[in-house]
Amino acid sequence: MEYFVGAYVVIWLVVFVFVFLMNRRLGALDDQLTMLEEALKRQEQK
Amino acid sequence: MNPSRRTVNVLNVVSLVAMMVAIYMATIQAPSATNIDESIRPAQRIIYFHVPSAWISMLAFFVTFVASVIYLRSKHVKWDILALCSAEIGILFTIAATASGSIWGKPAWNTWWTWDPRLTTYTIVLLLYIAYFMLRGAIEEPERRARFAAVYGIFAFLSVPLTFMSIRWWNTIHPVILDPNKGFGLGPGMASAFMIGILAFTILYVTLLANRLRVEWMVERVAALRERLLSA
Repeated sequence: MEYFVGAYVVIWLVVFVFVFLMNRRLGALDDQLTMLEEALKRQEQK
Repeated sequence: MNPSRRTVNVLNVVSLVAMMVAIYMATIQAPSATNIDESIRPAQRIIYFHVPSAWISMLAFFVTFVASVIYLRSKHVKWDILALCSAEIGILFTIAATASGSIWGKPAWNTWWTWDPRLTTYTIVLLLYIAYFMLRGAIEEPERRARFAAVYGIFAFLSVPLTFMSIRWWNTIHPVILDPNKGFGLGPGMASAFMIGILAFTILYVTLLANRLRVEWMVERVAALRERLLSA
């Protein structure tokens, strides 16, 4: 049973780490995008 | 190649449901194997996720191969991005399949690792695709990087059919699940859990790829906005 649980944990851990890192990057990009769009808007208003 | 936020969200939900069904089928619905020792029967259920992981890794590298060929013909950057994203997911599932296979190897073969033809060729696949990313990281000029990576992506793929056929061509302790002469090497209840696992992992691959492509699209959008801001 421990081998079965171990294998499932490994597979899901690998997928989870990938999704977690991708989401963290997506969040950072979203912040950058918002910041740049606001900066562009401010520049156009000047 | 930009999947919309809505498409990605729908895929995320479908993928989650498919995975829950696959887990239920693999852990509860599928009958225990009767032709192996009782002590290792629970471990045999590893195949319901081990084989789909291996399948997805090969599918992902095939997509990288096709995208690389199309990139060399069209020179459109979207194909280079698709090749890159798919190769990343391919590596992910190669690691998952290798690790889960190794864990199955301990109770079944009494060893975590052996230099069997399948295990050896699959390790070569993993190393070749790690080198793919090293190559990409070593070239700064985008067009040159994409061209070199595409050529490498095509040649690296040669190792994938070799790995697939290794258990059919050479003497190996790795079982053959799908044999054209013997048919499907699983009982009826096991075969349905196995096929649902394959389907669920394929949906998971499409979902991860869509999410990953969206990240690349946002990277491009940020770069374009930054350029616009600097030139304004």
